[in-house]
Amino acid sequence: MLIFVSGKGGTGKSAVAAATAIDFARRGHRVLAIDMASATGLAAHLRVPGLDYEPQEVRPGLFALKMTRSQALDEYLKVQLHVPKSLPTHQITAALSVLADTAPGVREIISIGKPIAESRSGDWEVVVVDSPSLGQFQSYLGAPQAIADLVPTGNMLRLASRMRDILLDEELTRIHLVTAPTELPILETQETIATIARERLAPVPKVIFNRVLEPSGMSRSDLKHLGDGPLREAATLQLDLELEQDAWSKKLAHVIELPYLFGVLTPGEVAEQLADDIGGRV
Amino acid sequence: MTRTIIIAGAGGVGKTTLSAALGAAIALGGKRTLVLTIDPAKRLADALGVSELTDTPTEIPTQTYGPHGMWAAMLDASASWEAIIHRYADPEVGARLLANPYFRAIADRFPAAQSYAAGERMAEYIESKQFDVVVVDTPPSGGGIDFFRAPAMANDLISGKLLKWLTGANLPGRGFIYRFTAKPILRIADAVLGGPMLSEVTDFLLDIRTMYDTISVRSRTIEGYLKEATTLVATTADPTPIHETRRFFSELDGIDIDPAAIIFNRKLPESWISQANKPIRGVQDPALRAKAKANLRAWAAEARRQADAADEMSARFHVPLYSVAWTTPAPQSMEELATLITDSGIVADLGL
Repeated sequence: MLIFVSGKGGTGKSAVAAATAIDFARRGHRVLAIDMASATGLAAHLRVPGLDYEPQEVRPGLFALKMTRSQALDEYLKVQLHVPKSLPTHQITAALSVLADTAPGVREIISIGKPIAESRSGDWEVVVVDSPSLGQFQSYLGAPQAIADLVPTGNMLRLASRMRDILLDEELTRIHLVTAPTELPILETQETIATIARERLAPVPKVIFNRVLEPSGMSRSDLKHLGDGPLREAATLQLDLELEQDAWSKKLAHVIELPYLFGVLTPGEVAEQLADDIGGRV
Repeated sequence: MTRTIIIAGAGGVGKTTLSAALGAAIALGGKRTLVLTIDPAKRLADALGVSELTDTPTEIPTQTYGPHGMWAAMLDASASWEAIIHRYADPEVGARLLANPYFRAIADRFPAAQSYAAGERMAEYIESKQFDVVVVDTPPSGGGIDFFRAPAMANDLISGKLLKWLTGANLPGRGFIYRFTAKPILRIADAVLGGPMLSEVTDFLLDIRTMYDTISVRSRTIEGYLKEATTLVATTADPTPIHETRRFFSELDGIDIDPAAIIFNRKLPESWISQANKPIRGVQDPALRAKAKANLRAWAAEARRQADAADEMSARFHVPLYSVAWTTPAPQSMEELATLITDSGIVADLGL
């Protein structure tokens, strides 16, 4: 199974991706986690200083790797496109590298080719991808179609249409979108779901609510009994956020709610805690 | 002279809202102010009082924003690129470029193209001399860092670095394309990849190449404006924005741009931290007292995490850090937004 975890920036998608991978590994599956969003900290959430292109075992049954563009390009040509050894591979690599900087879809198809290939390699039961945030993620999913529009024939087209079949197969591919139950993330997530459905890019995404506040049990009428200082200020903030959360969470169907984690936790602690909360539910 | 303020920062930290708020606060101080936004959410467009922003500056329809008013404009990357082509390309080449599928795809989707268009628009507004202050919200690509790099990248694209590789020659003329397609390596590459992709890209680059002289001068001018501008980095205490802020400072340093300050958004009061451990007096109902205390403790832990992150950042980057309070519900009007940013002290400190 191939699970892409995306979401609006700042909603905690890397933490949820790490937690999802940890949860599958804890339940005895052989899991690969892929960091495709270079700016974020999948490594920190998995408690390792850094990741490489070669998978490393970060805990029993859980392996992780980080995408790098030059290695992905190399692998795409040699392993996926099967460029014959008799051809001057380094020059074709250079040609494709130029294309990746200019032609639409080329960079994306090279990147998304890696997780798809890993999920079909037979080495893993589950591949969890910490994907780029929503806008960029859509162009990754749309890359096979962009390539089909660009290239009329040949290996690259055949490979792209195989990728498209895998991305659209509900048995093989899942899209998890992480959002917080507040206005902008909810609106952007709704738009992304609509685009994925309209352009038939992938199966219907499942929505994960992250940073959900637990109700405090207080009400507005309690505020006047709390004096004038921090006690009342913090209660006001909490109640305002609960109100906003109630209003916005109704606007989007979701499969699971993960809690807002308060205070000073390390990225590793956050991922473990969220994996406890997921507990096999995604 | 027009003063330019650029707001960089990771996605999700409230960059667009902060840009509008800063613009409103500066306008209230009596400066003729333009805010150039990239993709404002509906609520912000509503707060600005304009439901449909275009890339022509619109005056915010109210008397509230100081004696000289406030303007807002939204970047339209495709339209900006068309304007660039009309201005700088030979008409025949321009028509061919506008019809070229690569040009369309690049203008719409190549992240650096949006950033370059934003820089070009910024330069036009600065040169129009219509505004005392231009506040620029940066495009999301690369968390805003592409905005600073785009002029150099555009220069690379058209200076022929790629072309030189593709064709193996300098300054090719139009006729060169035929010799290019005869080049065996690239014919093999096209055959393997499955289409005339390299030939089409080369065609596109050859056309773009004719704009080299003008775009190269222009991108140096834009770089000049970027260096003179006051760059602010927006962040929150969340791990991703903090990570991105570190990356900004190191990458901006690499291109000789020094951010003037950090804006720390959604900050909780530090007074909550010490108060959380003190005994509570004056709340009669024990059940309510327990709930309110547990709630304050949870939020005080957040306030502590934020305070630690803020201290760490100002020590590391040696720039002032301005906190913008976390207010609920989210500000609905420009007046509320302007107050938030004025209270942080940044407007006064920047001499605006």
